Amino acid sequence: MNQYPDEDEEFELQYQDELELLEDVPHEYDAYDGPSTSRQAAAKQTKAVKDASRFENSTLGSPQLSQITFGSTQIENDDGGGGAGGGPVNRRLFGTPKGPPVGRGCSTPFQRMPAIQEMDATLPTSNGFKETEAVPLLNAAAQQLQELGTRGVNKRRLERDLFGDIDDLFHETYEDPLVKKARTEEQRDNEAIQRIVELRRKKQESTKTIRKDDVSRLKALLDFQRKNLSYEIPNWPFLPIQRSDLERIYVRFHSEEYEKRQLDLISARGAVVGSLLGEAKEKVWQEANELVLRRLAPDTQPAIAAPSTAVTAETGRLWVDKYKPRKYIDLLSDEMTNRSLLYWLKMWDKVVFGKPFHSKQEQEAVTGGGGGPAGGGGGGGANTQLNSFNKRTGKFESNGGWRQRKARQALNTNVDAMGRPMQKVALLCGPPGLGKTTLAHTIARHAGYNVREINASDDRSPEAFKLALENGTQMSSVLNADKRPNCIVLDEIDGAPRQSIEYLVKFVNDDVHSKAKAKGAKSEHNVLRRPIICICNDIYDPALRPLRQIAFVVTFPPIDAARLAERLGKIAQKEQLKTNFGSLITLAEKSGNDVRSCISSMQFFNAQKQSLTLQDVLNNNLGQKDRHQSLFTVWDSIFRIQRPKKQLQTDTNGTGDEPALVTMTNMSVATRVRNVMDVVHSSGDYERLTQGVYENYLQQKMPDPNFTGVCEALNWFCFTDILQQQIGRQQNYSIYPYLPYGFVVWHLLFATLAWPKISFPTRGFEFTQKSTTQRNIFQALRKGVTPSAVGVGHGRILLLDTVPMLKRILSPQLRSVTVKLLSPKELQDLNHTIEVMLDLGVTFVQVKSLEGHYVFQPEPDLDVLIAFPGFPGLTVSYFGRQLLAREVALARIRRAAPKEGEPSAVAAASAAKKQAAKTAATSHLPNHLQTLKPKPISASNVRSSAPKQQLTKDFFGRVTHKTSTAKQIDEAKTDAIVKSPIWYRYKEGFNNAVRKDVHLHELL
Amino acid sequence: MALWVDKYRPRELTKLDFHKEQAENLRNLCKQSDFPHLMFYGPSGAGKKTRIMCLLREMYGAGVERLRSETMTFTTPSNRKVEVMTVSSNYHLEVNPSDAGMYDRTVVIDLIKQVAQTHQIEINGQREFKVIVISEGDELTKDAQHALRRTMEKYVATCRIIMSVNSTSRIIPAIRSRCLGIRVAAPSEAEMTAILQSTCKREGLALPVELAKRVVDKSERNLRRALLMLEAAKVAKSPFTAQQEVPDLDWQVFLRETASQIISEQTPAKLEKIRDRLYELLTQGVPPNLIFRGLVEHLVSNCDMSIKAKTLELATEYEHRMQNGAKHIFHLEAFVAQFMSIYKKFMSELLMTDDF
Repeated sequence: MNQYPDEDEEFELQYQDELELLEDVPHEYDAYDGPSTSRQAAAKQTKAVKDASRFENSTLGSPQLSQITFGSTQIENDDGGGGAGGGPVNRRLFGTPKGPPVGRGCSTPFQRMPAIQEMDATLPTSNGFKETEAVPLLNAAAQQLQELGTRGVNKRRLERDLFGDIDDLFHETYEDPLVKKARTEEQRDNEAIQRIVELRRKKQESTKTIRKDDVSRLKALLDFQRKNLSYEIPNWPFLPIQRSDLERIYVRFHSEEYEKRQLDLISARGAVVGSLLGEAKEKVWQEANELVLRRLAPDTQPAIAAPSTAVTAETGRLWVDKYKPRKYIDLLSDEMTNRSLLYWLKMWDKVVFGKPFHSKQEQEAVTGGGGGPAGGGGGGGANTQLNSFNKRTGKFESNGGWRQRKARQALNTNVDAMGRPMQKVALLCGPPGLGKTTLAHTIARHAGYNVREINASDDRSPEAFKLALENGTQMSSVLNADKRPNCIVLDEIDGAPRQSIEYLVKFVNDDVHSKAKAKGAKSEHNVLRRPIICICNDIYDPALRPLRQIAFVVTFPPIDAARLAERLGKIAQKEQLKTNFGSLITLAEKSGNDVRSCISSMQFFNAQKQSLTLQDVLNNNLGQKDRHQSLFTVWDSIFRIQRPKKQLQTDTNGTGDEPALVTMTNMSVATRVRNVMDVVHSSGDYERLTQGVYENYLQQKMPDPNFTGVCEALNWFCFTDILQQQIGRQQNYSIYPYLPYGFVVWHLLFATLAWPKISFPTRGFEFTQKSTTQRNIFQALRKGVTPSAVGVGHGRILLLDTVPMLKRILSPQLRSVTVKLLSPKELQDLNHTIEVMLDLGVTFVQVKSLEGHYVFQPEPDLDVLIAFPGFPGLTVSYFGRQLLAREVALARIRRAAPKEGEPSAVAAASAAKKQAAKTAATSHLPNHLQTLKPKPISASNVRSSAPKQQLTKDFFGRVTHKTSTAKQIDEAKTDAIVKSPIWYRYKEGFNNAVRKDVHLHELL
Repeated sequence: MALWVDKYRPRELTKLDFHKEQAENLRNLCKQSDFPHLMFYGPSGAGKKTRIMCLLREMYGAGVERLRSETMTFTTPSNRKVEVMTVSSNYHLEVNPSDAGMYDRTVVIDLIKQVAQTHQIEINGQREFKVIVISEGDELTKDAQHALRRTMEKYVATCRIIMSVNSTSRIIPAIRSRCLGIRVAAPSEAEMTAILQSTCKREGLALPVELAKRVVDKSERNLRRALLMLEAAKVAKSPFTAQQEVPDLDWQVFLRETASQIISEQTPAKLEKIRDRLYELLTQGVPPNLIFRGLVEHLVSNCDMSIKAKTLELATEYEHRMQNGAKHIFHLEAFVAQFMSIYKKFMSELLMTDDF
C-alpha cells in the first residue's frame, strides 16, 4: 500500500516554497528547475559574489575548513574569490603548487559563462584528488563528464541530493549539472565549443600529459562528491555550512584516520604520478596546520554554523511534515471519526456545490466529482496530488464494508430548509498530537474545499474574528486560480476569547444581520453557506459551552497504539531506521499515542544513530509529556499496586557500551514509592487528591486489626492539613515539597493488587456547602433578634444553647381549635410563644414543600438549625403553626401600633385637660422613657402662638386672608394637626399635598 | 422580652443576684469619673453581659437600653465583603468581631478604631468617653488583638473597651495588661437554685426542689442554659412535677451517642459512620473544640482507668494540631481512630488475660 508520497511528491513538497515563487508556471514541478532557478541565480549572483569576496577578506578562505574536509566548497570560495591570500594556502594545502587563478573572473554576471566553463574544468582538479593542477581535459574527457551529468539528470532525486540547487554558487569551482541542464541546447553547443577552445589553450599552456585514467578519476570524483556533499541532512556525520544565500550545505565529516588514509593514498598516487607530492606535501601540510592554528583562536567562524541549529533549522525536512497524511486514506485517526466528519462535510454539498447529497453510497461518487470544478480551475498537473483521491477511490470503496454498520452517534443527518445540515459547525476535540488539524485539512481538501485556517496565532479579537469569518464564508479568492469554495478551519478555538465564540455561535445561527443590507436589494440576510470546522483540545472549556450545544461534536478517541506503531514502522522503513515493532509500540505507549511526538522522537534517534531499540525508548525521556491525568487515575495508582511492566535496568557501572538490560519492574517498595511520587507530582492538585484519598481509604480492604494503619494514615492527613494551612496562611511554599509524601504513605498502607473501588469525593464539598447554608440561616436568625433580647446570647451561644431550647419553647401544645376556644393555660402558652417569636423575629411562612403540599416553615428556619437526624425540630402541628403565623402577624401589627396609636387617641379626645393629664402622666414616667416620646408640643403653646399668626400662608407661600370664622376653623384644624401624630411623623414618602386642579386658561 | 432570660434579667448593679460584693465594687468604680478598660471573664452563662449592661446603665443611665442593631459591611483588603452585626446605643457600641471570622482584623481596624477616634456627640453627657463592648473577645485572632492594643492606648481619652471573654488564656498578654480583669464566676448551685425558684415565683409557678436541682445539674452551672431549660420544660409540661423530664441540648445528646458508638465497635466501617456523624456536627456549627471536649468526656467516663490518661493525652495532642490546621475533620477522625486503636488493644489484652 503506497501510502507515502513517492519521490516526486516528496520532492515537490521539499521545494514547495520555490514552487510558489514561480507564479507563471504554477504547480508544474516538472518544469521547475529550468528557467526559474537560472533566474534566481542571476538575481542572486551579484550578492553571492560580494559575499564571496567578503569571505575572503575576513577569513582568508578559512583554511581550517579545508583542513577538516575534503569538500569542495571552501576551496571553491577561495578560488572563486580569486583569493590572493587564501588561494595559495589551499593550493599548497592540497598540493597544488601552482594553479591558474581559475575563479577570478567570475565577479560579474557577464563573465559567468567562461567562469563556469573553467569551473567545469577545474572542479575535478581542485577538490578531487589533489595531485592535479588545472588538468587540461581532452574533449573526450569533457564529454564523458557531461554524460555523467546527464545521467544524473535522469535520476533527478539523486542529483538533487548530490548537488542541490546550487546554481547560484557558480563562483565556486565545480559544475552544477542543474545549471547545465537549464541551458538551452544552443547554449550547450556554444559552451561545448568554447570549452573545447579553452581546453585546447590550456593544453598548450600545460606541459603535462593527459593520463589515461582521467575518466575513471572523474567518476571517482563524482562518487566522492556524492558521498561527501549534501543539501539535505545526510546520513553520515556532517558539518553544516551556510552559504551566503542561507542555503545549507552539509559536508561530510571524516575521522582523522580516514583523512590520513586518503592522504596516504594521494601521496601514493602522487608517487605514481611522479613529482609533486612527497616531502613537499608534508611540508605544505605542516604549514597549513600552523596557519590553521593561528587562525583558529581569534577568528569568528562565519562560515560554520552551529550543528545543532543546523538540524533544527531544517524544518522543511522534519519527519512530522514529511510523513504528514496528505490523502484521506493516509489518515491515522479513528475511522469512525474520519467517516462521520466527512459525512457531515458532504452534507454541505447541496448548498456549496449545488448538487444533491444523496446517500452514503452515492457519496463516494460525489467525492470524486467534488474536486471537479476545482480541478477545472487549476492547471491540470497542479491538482494531481489533490485529486489523487480519485484514483484511490476504488481502493477506498473496496475496504469500505464497515460503512454499513457505521453509527454516527452525534450527527444529526437532517437538513434544514436550505439543505444545510442541522449542525452547521463541527467541533473536533481531543488531546494534542492525534492529528485533528490534519484530519480537518485533509477531509476538507478531500471534499473539494479550499481550507482557510484561523488559529491561535491569528488575531482572534471579536472584530478580527468577525472579519475573518465573513471573508471566509462569503467571498472567494479572486487572485487564486483555484476556485474551490472555502471551508473555514478554526484551529485551537478553546483559546479564543469568549466574545469571538459567541459571535461565531450567532453567526452560525444566522442571527447576524449585516447592516449594509438595509437597501433591500438583498432582503434576506446573510446565511452561512460554508462549513466551519472548529478544533479544540478541551471541549469542556467554559467559553465553548454555547458552541458545544449547536455543534456536531467529534471526540477524538486515542489512536490505537498498534496502528500507530505500524505507521511508525513504515516511516522507519522508509528512512532506513533500524527498529522493531516492539520498541515502536513501546514508543507509542510512552508518548500516550501522540503521533507527532513519536515521529519526532524517531527522527531524533535517526539523527543520533540510525537505530531505535527498546532500550532507547525506555532509556530516554523522549516523547514523555506532562499528560493530564485524571484524578481517578491518580487515586487509582495510589490505591493499587502497579503490575510489573517493562523497565530498563539502569546499569550502575555507567558504561554505556554494554547493552542495558530490559527487565520487568519489581514490586519493591522503592519502585512503588517512585511510581506514586511521579503520578502525584504530575497531577499536582494535592488538596483535592488528599480529600479523595481521605474519603476512599476506609473502603479499601486492609488487614488492619489494630487500627495502626488507619492511625498512621490519619496522622499523615493531619500533617498534610497542617502543611496546607501553613502554606495557605503564610504563603510559605518551601514546605510544599513535603505534601506528596503523604500519598506515598497512604499507598504503602492501603494499596492492593485488586482494582480499587473509588468514588469521587463529595463529602468535603457537601460539607462546606451545607455549612454555608447553615451559617446563612443562623445569620438571618441573628439579624431578626431584637436588640433588647440580650439574654439569648451572641454568636455561638445563641446557636448552641438557645436555639435547641427555643425549639422546645416555641412548641406549645395547642389543640386544633380557634383561639377563642383555647383554655386559659393554652392561651397563656400561646401568648408567651408569640412574644418570644416576636422578640426573636421568628415567624411561620407557608411554603410549598417538595412533595407539593403546603407546610408552615419557621422563618428563619429553626427546624434546620442545629438539627440532627433523629431529633425533632419544632413539634408544632400544621394547625398550630398556622395559628402562630397569624397571631404573630397580628401581634406584630399591634406592637407597632401603640407608638402612633397612643398619641392619636389622645389627640382625638378634646384638648387641654387630657393634654395636661398626659404631661402629668409622662412626668411619672422614668427619664429614659420620656426621651422615647416625641417632643411634646403642647397644644396650649400652639394655641397661644396661633393668634399671633395673623398672616397665614397657603402651601405656595401666598398670603391668604381669611375670615374670622375661617380662622376659627383653621385654628381648630391646627389644633387637630398639632395633636395628631400624623403631623409629627409626616416627613417622607409620597406627598400629595401639591395636588391642585389647574386649568389651562389659568396658565395662559 | 418574653424569654425568661431576658424578662428577669437584672438591669441594675444593685439588683444582681450573686457576686454582690463585686457589684458593689463596680458601682464604686462608676462613681469615679473615669475607669480603665475592662475585661469580664468567666464561663458562659455566668452573667458577664448582664454585668456589663448594668455597669453601662449605671454610668449613662437608662439611655443605654435604647438599643438599635445594625449590620455593617466591611471590605477586606482581599476585596471580600464581611458583615458584622452591631448593637449600639448613643453611648456604647457592642460588636462581636468573631462574626467576621478570620477577617476580624478588618473589623477592629475599620470599626473600632473609627468609633474610638470620634468624640462623644453629647458634650453634656455624663461621660466624655464611649464604650465599645467586644463580646466573645477570646475568639479574636492574634492579628486582630494586636491591631487592638494600640487603639486601646491611643484613644483612651475618647473610648473605653469592655471585653467579654470566656478565658483570658487566648487573649494576648499585651491586652490583658491593658485591661482591668473582672472575673465573673459561674453561680453556685445554691445561687442558681435560688434564682430559678425566684423566677418561677414571679411567673407564678411552683418549682419542685428536685426538678430545680436537676435543671441546675444539667445546665452545668450555666444560668442562661438553666433558665432556657426551665422555660422549655414549662412549655412541655406546665405545672412542674418533680419527675419531669428536663430537655437536653440536641447536639450534646448527639455527641454522647457518637461517643458510645465509638466504644461499642472499632472497625473501619464504624469509623466511617463516626466520620459522618462528626461531619454532621461540624456542619451544624458545633465548634470542633467542643466536639473534642464532648467526646473526651464521654469516652473517658466509659473506659478503663488504664487508658484514660492515654486518651486525654491523645485528645490534647490532636486538639492542638487541629488549631494549626484547617480541616477539623481529619484531626477529629484521627483522634477517634487512635482511641479505637488503644481501646481495641486494651480489650484484646483483657480477653487474653481472661483466657489464661
